[in-house]
Amino acid sequence: MTPTEQLVTRLPNDIGGLEAGRIQQTDHPLEPWEKRCHALADVLDYHKIISTEEKRRGVESLGGKMVGELTYYERWIVAFANILFQKGVLTPDDLAKKMEEIAARWKG
Amino acid sequence: MDAHDHHHDHTATAAPQTEAPPGYYETMETALRELLVEKKLIGAGEIRRQIEVLDSRTPALGAKVVARAWVDPDFRRRLLANGRTACEQDFGISFYDDTELIVLENTEKVHNLVVCTLCSCYPRPVLGLPPDWYKQKAYRARAVRDPRAVLAEFGTIIPDDVEIRVSDSTAVVRFLVLPRRPEGTENFSEEELTALVTRDSMIGVVPVQLQTGILS
Amino acid sequence: MPEPASGTATPSLHTVKSFGDQPVWKAGDAIRISVRYPIAHYRVPRYIRGKRGLVEMVIARALVNNEEEGFGRNAGQLGYYYRVAIPLQELWPDYVGSPNDNLRIEVFETWLEKN
Repeated sequence: MTPTEQLVTRLPNDIGGLEAGRIQQTDHPLEPWEKRCHALADVLDYHKIISTEEKRRGVESLGGKMVGELTYYERWIVAFANILFQKGVLTPDDLAKKMEEIAARWKG
Repeated sequence: MDAHDHHHDHTATAAPQTEAPPGYYETMETALRELLVEKKLIGAGEIRRQIEVLDSRTPALGAKVVARAWVDPDFRRRLLANGRTACEQDFGISFYDDTELIVLENTEKVHNLVVCTLCSCYPRPVLGLPPDWYKQKAYRARAVRDPRAVLAEFGTIIPDDVEIRVSDSTAVVRFLVLPRRPEGTENFSEEELTALVTRDSMIGVVPVQLQTGILS
Repeated sequence: MPEPASGTATPSLHTVKSFGDQPVWKAGDAIRISVRYPIAHYRVPRYIRGKRGLVEMVIARALVNNEEEGFGRNAGQLGYYYRVAIPLQELWPDYVGSPNDNLRIEVFETWLEKN
């Protein structure tokens, strides 16, 4: 299989058996938004707006660079946005405007 | 872990308790949640309720299950036969994510280790959310390739005549390790035993020891 | 209530099961994980493809193949997952731990072949 075929046939999350360094035995208490993000994932799954499997697929489809560089819940929230666009639930513009509105709440 | 920037340039009218403005991804979370609530696809109360559900799940629950299995042979038998049903019936633990639970018993001959190489499947109903290391590449990549070296990094040396079983979650089943009851605990009460059982022992990376506690 | 035709024997309790009603494999069966390369979403990691092992148990309830659910298809033909045991030496020919060390993993039946 050529390297570019590998790019397509090995998902970025499929890492069982690959070379990796020592385990950093770290943990952190979730930030409030991370916990809300987790709760959002569960609620979206309850309603099958985004099932757990769709969420996994959404994270995988971010590609290797984003999977490697975004934090765990950053990947989730971006995946949710993409899936909601794909399903026609929201548009990219809906999200951009709402994010602007939220940012404006913090400007005096 | 935390990659986003915190900006501390918000001055003018900031009250003493005012937090920094939310980062980019936090803003995205708030925006998606508000949009879904406005469209009545989810209720704001559902998120609050689910946070309470998540907060109520910690390794202390799993520890109770393990200690009960150590002292009650009938419960142990039912737990090993169907982990989910036994947890539901005897502890009222709901499986809110609709997963199944297989409980893996460590013995003199077998040591179990749990991993999810593809993502971060974890027995959340009974242990809460997984630690960061469980979700990161080094553990996920190596647990199935060289489990003895991984265990050694956690200080756990398994003799060669003990079989290592690595369970990799991919679908609907989650795994909880039933660690061995430490020697010298014959006279311990169920509560005293519960206090010995750690999260990491239920993932299978360490044994339960007399000196450990629920926080590790 | 329809009357049985007189003279007919008690009908056999044999009933025809639909596809997917019954597990295809049973504990102890020797299997091999298929080798194929789905893209965009899969739940059979690459490191087990083509490897040989034994079925340890049938996962109790029939379910939708979660590889299909990835694109929002949440209904359809049910099938079974199996907990499969594969020796680590089969997975990694240079494995240096005990020869008894092994992997246990859930695999949907569409990925299993007779070994």
